[in-house]
Amino acid sequence: MNNILKELQKDLLHLPRTHPKRRAVAIPAMQALQAELGYLDDAAIEKIAQITGLSTTEAEELATFYSLIYRRPAGRHTVRICDSVCCSMRGADQLLTAAEEYIRTPLGTVTPDGALTVLPGICLGLCDKAPAALVDGEALGPLNDASLKALLQRLQQKD
Amino acid sequence: MGKIMLDGHAIPFKLGDNILQTALEANLEIPHFCYHAALGSLGACRLCAVEITPKDSGKAPRVAMACLEPSEDGLKVSVSAIAAQQVRQHVIEFLMINHPHDCPICDEGGECHLQDMTVVCGPPYRRYRGRKRTFPNQDLGPLIHHEMNRCITCYRCTRFYQDYALGNDLGAMRLRNEVYFGRFQDGPLENPFAGNLVEVCPTGVFTDAIFRQHFARVWDLKTAPSICPHCSVGCNTLPGARDGTLRRVRNRAHPELNRWFICDRGRYGHQYSEHSARPLAPRVSGTDTSYHDALNAAASQIKSTQDCIGGLGSTREDLEGNAMLQALLNNLGGIFTAFSDPKLETATIAAVSSLQNIGNAPSLAEIEQIDAALIIGDLTAHAPMIDLALRQAYRKGAKLAFLYSSPTPLAQFATTAITVSPQEMCTELSRLYQLINAQSAAEDITDTPMTDIAASLMGARKSLLIGAIETMTSQEVSTLSKLATALGSDTKLAYAFSGANAYGAALLSPTGSAVAMLEAVEAGQIRILIVAGNDPLGDSRFGTRWRAACRNLSALIVLDCILTATAKAADILFPVAAWTERGGTFINYEGRAQGFATVFHRPEYLPNVARVITDLAQYLGHSLQAAPSVLGDIFSDFQIPKPGTTGSLITAPSLPMPATASAHSIQESCNSTWQAALASWYGDEALASFAPGLMALTPKTVAMIEPTSAIDAGIKNGSKIKLRGSSGSMVLSVRFNQDVATGTIAIARNVLVQLGVGHGDSLELEQVL
Amino acid sequence: MEALLTRHLDPVAPLNLVAYQATGGYRSLTSAFDLKPEKIIGIVEAANLRGRGGAGFPCGLKWRLRGADAPSPRYLICNLDESEPGTFKDRYLLYGGPHQIIESIIVSAFALQAERAFIFVRGEYAKGGNALNQAIQEAETAGLLGTNIRGSGFNLQIEAHLSGGRYICGEETAQINAIEGKRPNPRHKIPRPSTHGLWGQPTTTNNVETLINVPHILLNGADWFRELGVNGGCGSKLFCVSGKVKHSGLFELPCGTPARELIFEHAGGLDENRALLGFLPGGASTAFLLPKHLDVPMDFDPIAKAGSRLGTGSIIVLDDATCPVEVTLNLMRFFARESCGFCTPCRDGLPYLTQILTTISSGSGRADDLALLDELCATIASQSFCAFAPGAVMPLVSSLKCFHDHYEHHVTTGRCPFNEANKNGA
Repeated sequence: MNNILKELQKDLLHLPRTHPKRRAVAIPAMQALQAELGYLDDAAIEKIAQITGLSTTEAEELATFYSLIYRRPAGRHTVRICDSVCCSMRGADQLLTAAEEYIRTPLGTVTPDGALTVLPGICLGLCDKAPAALVDGEALGPLNDASLKALLQRLQQKD
Repeated sequence: MGKIMLDGHAIPFKLGDNILQTALEANLEIPHFCYHAALGSLGACRLCAVEITPKDSGKAPRVAMACLEPSEDGLKVSVSAIAAQQVRQHVIEFLMINHPHDCPICDEGGECHLQDMTVVCGPPYRRYRGRKRTFPNQDLGPLIHHEMNRCITCYRCTRFYQDYALGNDLGAMRLRNEVYFGRFQDGPLENPFAGNLVEVCPTGVFTDAIFRQHFARVWDLKTAPSICPHCSVGCNTLPGARDGTLRRVRNRAHPELNRWFICDRGRYGHQYSEHSARPLAPRVSGTDTSYHDALNAAASQIKSTQDCIGGLGSTREDLEGNAMLQALLNNLGGIFTAFSDPKLETATIAAVSSLQNIGNAPSLAEIEQIDAALIIGDLTAHAPMIDLALRQAYRKGAKLAFLYSSPTPLAQFATTAITVSPQEMCTELSRLYQLINAQSAAEDITDTPMTDIAASLMGARKSLLIGAIETMTSQEVSTLSKLATALGSDTKLAYAFSGANAYGAALLSPTGSAVAMLEAVEAGQIRILIVAGNDPLGDSRFGTRWRAACRNLSALIVLDCILTATAKAADILFPVAAWTERGGTFINYEGRAQGFATVFHRPEYLPNVARVITDLAQYLGHSLQAAPSVLGDIFSDFQIPKPGTTGSLITAPSLPMPATASAHSIQESCNSTWQAALASWYGDEALASFAPGLMALTPKTVAMIEPTSAIDAGIKNGSKIKLRGSSGSMVLSVRFNQDVATGTIAIARNVLVQLGVGHGDSLELEQVL
Repeated sequence: MEALLTRHLDPVAPLNLVAYQATGGYRSLTSAFDLKPEKIIGIVEAANLRGRGGAGFPCGLKWRLRGADAPSPRYLICNLDESEPGTFKDRYLLYGGPHQIIESIIVSAFALQAERAFIFVRGEYAKGGNALNQAIQEAETAGLLGTNIRGSGFNLQIEAHLSGGRYICGEETAQINAIEGKRPNPRHKIPRPSTHGLWGQPTTTNNVETLINVPHILLNGADWFRELGVNGGCGSKLFCVSGKVKHSGLFELPCGTPARELIFEHAGGLDENRALLGFLPGGASTAFLLPKHLDVPMDFDPIAKAGSRLGTGSIIVLDDATCPVEVTLNLMRFFARESCGFCTPCRDGLPYLTQILTTISSGSGRADDLALLDELCATIASQSFCAFAPGAVMPLVSSLKCFHDHYEHHVTTGRCPFNEANKNGA
């Protein structure tokens, strides 16, 4: 368990069961655990419940709401390609098709080598770099078929 | 008080009510989904659109949600305005986009709020041409069936489950038009009030899985107002039967008691009456016979005896049945009691006596308004709906304090919770009493959990002292009553009794009659025992003695609708009508007499207890008065309450406070350091234990021990121990539990019965290697 | 006009505390602590600083209405959760200069006498959030946060909350739920969050761009600030221009600068041989404007008068090679996907609209579909629980009007005029 989670757990240890802080740290706890695991499986949700004192269902209510909390396996690298209006006007839809063809894995799933997950995302706030993507949290754009393929290739070979 | 103008009619409103509440109060329907009287307004479904024009504002009318707009004097409201109609029509159209057209086979058919609203609001035809989104369903256990495709996302389920019933294993997942109401993973819903989802859901997402197994269209069901027989709260119910079988039980609103909800034991316990082992034919010496022959056999046994006759009524038998049995015994010169457990008798009589002295117990609606409570023992199993009422008080900020020996679900909401072993409970209550007496004089008392309890009770505006009688002694009852007196008139006292008619049974049973009866049978002075709805042989504390004593009997005559240990041992068995198959009267925990009606008849002839007793008397050459006049003789001016009414408090002669005999006479010879405590579970009740659906949820049988005392004794979590009591031994695995008192082993009722020990009795423990 | 808000931004190497102070950073604390909180609110009111998050509510008035006697603890939330397609100004502010944000929050929280502030950061901006956390620590170490800041007697703690990621979290009350760790559905606004916000306490939420104006107003005065604008606008404004322009980007210009200048001067105009079809003036949830509106000052009231909203001041440009039906469909898909699922018109109405638009776009639309869209939009816009759905249908309603011929063409010919291939049945 990473330090952030350990800190959180220590903070909450002596708080009453209904203390508001228990809920308030749920998303930070999920983010910290996801940073470690890549995504939150059922055991991770149980872990969050154990740390925060929420029930597993309460943790799941939150986890399933957010787009950046992954409840399905993700690759070592995630590539979120924006499919919202500005990027779409600049060819995002073709990029997504090209990416899917290149990695031969459906969007939102993990490549067989475990390296990559490519998925469409809502506007990333990178409209000035359209069509853009967020690669492991790092902004990238504008992309074209060639630069995208080079990127995917580089990520697959990285480790 | 002001008035709103609703489509031209002046409708008075309560200050603070919104338009929808005002209309519903006046019996005027404004279409709605997410609003629920118990759950309040949400503003999510957007169906209750009305056109409003504020008085003298000069503003143009606008469409608004009736559930979110406060009623104001002179406010013009139109439900029929075209603009409002159009909105409602669109909302229905939106909701029907994904709703499956499975109405012909839907369990909700005939009582579907969604269908009603769709018919009322339109549109008549479908315009959406796209695909419907679909969901997988979850297995929510044996009681509730899940069909998520039908969901219209009104959030009533989670608002009831999480906000009202304070459960945490049903939630809203995901978002957009994919919001999913379910659990983290498949599995039975854990909240003891989960069954209300069936009624709270406006369509067929959550349906009654037990009803589903033996379904009937709801308009084909025979119904009549009934009272739940599964505890002493007396929730009003509406059972439904078809073709001579009982299919389901639903809530029937009582304004001061259960209002919108009932507990799962009340909803699903009814399966006892359809149990495959239910006795349906009279039996003499193990052979089925006719009613006439059984009466003849019973009469000739009674005629032939020169000895005293005993009549054992029951706390779950109605007032009529108990009173008629008592009347028969009076005629025959025998003795009567409604209690097989002398300890339970004295505790119950003590409780009724103190309620008569101090003032009646508060209704559920009143309990919701208290701001501090002291709870002795477990309420979730002994009076589930009082637990739910206290959850409402807790939501409003009430401080709940607990003194308990074994785990109780409600304690998770405790401000102060102290585990106390059964044998020390009375001492602790006396300490609290002294604290409260002292604290009114001296303020500076060290801060301990017990002083916290004292302070919260003394500082409360309205407080409640409540205990579960089954796990209390008469001394504890009398101490609690002293405590109530010391706290003054803002403090209410209540007890969760054992049995739907325990209060009534106490009014009919002379103090000490149970022990007198048991000793008379043991001494061979009673040779014929008539048992109506009681199970002395299956009792945990006194079962061993009763079983031995009953060998002295020449005839054990049993009247019951379930096959108890006593019914199995009967020489003559009269199967009687179950509660839905007869009318009668129960006195609930408040002392409220409530009538219930016959819902249906089974094809077999199943008389009620009063009828059997009357017939038996006739065979003996006696003529008994009818039950109403018998009761009228006992309780002056008593009128049998009409089923379907709210009932009224019974006026009865004052019961004397029983003399407090030594509490633990049985185990004095035993020098064990461990004592037994009843591990409660909400499904655990005599009738409900014959309901297979509910019983499928029975917790695993384990011995729960508080970790520190276990470790001191060298006992490990998960290890095996052998427990020994007066009638046997049993090997169980150990489960550590912080909510068990030191030196106490919490075990389920069936284990207590097998061991022959009661709550608070000593136990021998041996480690199994 | 000299850049004011973006002057010291450096996305590659944002200024640390020392460097930021060297540019005059945190000077406004001195001005603020010399003033009474009500006086600061008065100045902000006089500056006519209007909310930059989209609604344009006057900031000073919002602060005054919360009331000086609001019970403690009082909270300030800095909304840095922009997720509005076309909008990326907050990203520049976050990545370029976290100390500017912290300084703004300190003086604003002082005006509000709020003892705890939250910065709600978009989940996609996690890296910027990390840098912000470091800057907060720097400020804490330097005594700019914490108890008795610079001897003023004022205490303030700032926490950055990194969102789990959803458009709706930008909504004031949904954001409050998100910070509390509840499902971020919007709340009913009675009682108002200004009195019953975070954990039931008085809470003020401001967009980050709104707040970063406050130090400048304090240092230079309300009159100076108002005069920064042109064509009736007040102050400096961050404009984003994206879509079919040569140089998409962020431009800090006087509030009231017309779209023509933004699109054709600063963003370099459209691609060669392309003409302007129309534009969204304030992000995805605003109504389309047409070439005839190019000279309308980009300010709250003039844009509203033209039938749209200034929103976040983010222009999305459509050229004449772009199918407006396709663009509108993309917007509706976005909103249907991001609906929180709380109220019926939004949750089920937006997918309905999307389904109809999809059939029109793919060539299988029917003649009466256009009227049906209008009819449904009217209910969705007026009867939803929060401002999400009214914003969501704004581009559609206006698109149906502005580009009616395009829709007609799709429906009558069964094909998209911008796509050579017959899409029917595709």
